Amino acid sequence: MQAWVDPDKCQGHTLCAMRAPAIFELSDIDGHATALAGDLPASEHDAVREAAGSCPEQAITLS
Amino acid sequence: MTDMTDDIRKQKRFQFTRHSPTFRLEFESTAAEMQSRCPVAWSDTYGGHWVAASHEAIFDIARESEVLSNDHDVTNTKKGYHGISIPPAQSQYRGGFLEMDPPEQREYRQTLNTYLSPAAVNRWKPFVEALTRSCLDEVIESGRLDFVDDLANIVPAVLTLAMLGLPLKDWDIYCEPAHASVYTPPESPDFPRVMQGAMLMNQRLGEAVVEIREKPRPGMINALVNAEIVGATPPDHELIGVLTLLIGGGFDTTTALTAHSLEWLSEHPAERARLSAERDTLLDGATEEFLRFYTPAQGDGRTFSADCELAGTQFKEGERLWLSWAMANRDPSVFPNPNEIDFDRHNNRHTSFGLGIHRCIGSNMARMAFKTMLTQVLDRMPDFVTDPTGAAHYETVGVINGMQHLPATFTPGPRLGASFAETLELLQRACDEQRLAEPVTVRTASAKIG
Repeated sequence: MQAWVDPDKCQGHTLCAMRAPAIFELSDIDGHATALAGDLPASEHDAVREAAGSCPEQAITLS
Repeated sequence: MTDMTDDIRKQKRFQFTRHSPTFRLEFESTAAEMQSRCPVAWSDTYGGHWVAASHEAIFDIARESEVLSNDHDVTNTKKGYHGISIPPAQSQYRGGFLEMDPPEQREYRQTLNTYLSPAAVNRWKPFVEALTRSCLDEVIESGRLDFVDDLANIVPAVLTLAMLGLPLKDWDIYCEPAHASVYTPPESPDFPRVMQGAMLMNQRLGEAVVEIREKPRPGMINALVNAEIVGATPPDHELIGVLTLLIGGGFDTTTALTAHSLEWLSEHPAERARLSAERDTLLDGATEEFLRFYTPAQGDGRTFSADCELAGTQFKEGERLWLSWAMANRDPSVFPNPNEIDFDRHNNRHTSFGLGIHRCIGSNMARMAFKTMLTQVLDRMPDFVTDPTGAAHYETVGVINGMQHLPATFTPGPRLGASFAETLELLQRACDEQRLAEPVTVRTASAKIG
């Protein structure tokens, strides 16, 4: 599983980092999120799905 | 799109009266009815406006900033739009950047983001912990308090002033008007007094702007007086609008969330005990669920800046729209059992901080202040019982779903530290000596208190 945060959609709600703190990093400047690049560990998949589902802007794409 | 007559465009109609006391009492059935029957409807009330009531419609419309305007044209020199209030607010100031469009709006937010980002807000945690501790110390030996007056009004107020760079001891000058101007209707006999308080608050803010421009001290006011917004230094009256937005947004909403959540927890002691025992895993989810359920800022107005078709409805330039964050949050197609509070709720993509470019800039501060107050209450007065006869909810929820009073009793306990007045002095010294209100780009370290 890979995750990508669309920077044009993300508004810095921070829900993703709340749900999957190991995967989503928040900018110190404005709290906008970026996802860890590459294949994500299986142990994080549930949390990442919850993060994507919790995003108010639906800015997270999983593949 | 093919042009329709107004009769056809507006054939879904709903008499939407969100400023009436009845609306608050019938909120759940109104939301359900609008969502199943509309979900976008024309209402003749408050000068005529559209209402979006389903999560899907609000999600589809709210993020279309190309065709939506927040502008409040108070000088009537642009398109005459009325900002975020429906009906329009009679004001000489724009309501800060919430009543502006990009690029101006974006540049104000960029000026303030480094004070309000998660990293910036986390630095204030020890400050908020000490402040909350001192508020609870003032009442802990007596076994009774008012959660609004003695806690939830004070913590967000003092924290907001600290971040702005204003003297902490002035918190009560700002506190009463910030809340009372929301819950006091113009026809109330108390209204002139409340307006007088609001005027004093604006006067103080104007003085602070001048003072900080001459003698800089860290904080958001300093950033604003030095900002260049679309190529120019903003005039003082514009900055007062911005500061009023930060105070209004920072004070009343966090109070509303905290009071309602504490009231619910008193009424659900088993859930309260579970939240306290399992806070490491439940606190985040519970916070988001309280935010969803109570939606402190109930909605926002917009003006269409172009003809467009969204959510299956044709809108015309100049028409107004109410985005009901509160109703979106109770949409059963996104939130199963929407009228129940469920700490374990999945995919809680609530709209309580808005959607799109105007997302509440203080959301991180609100969450941190709320969680600090809540956990200290759970630790120090775990058996609190709120008094339903003394609990005062705002009579109307047209703007904020707030509370004016929430008295409670609990088993008394010991003080843990200095009094509120002494703590305020201690915190002021920490602000001054450690320059706590610098942006996170200048100061990354956490506050050190005591």
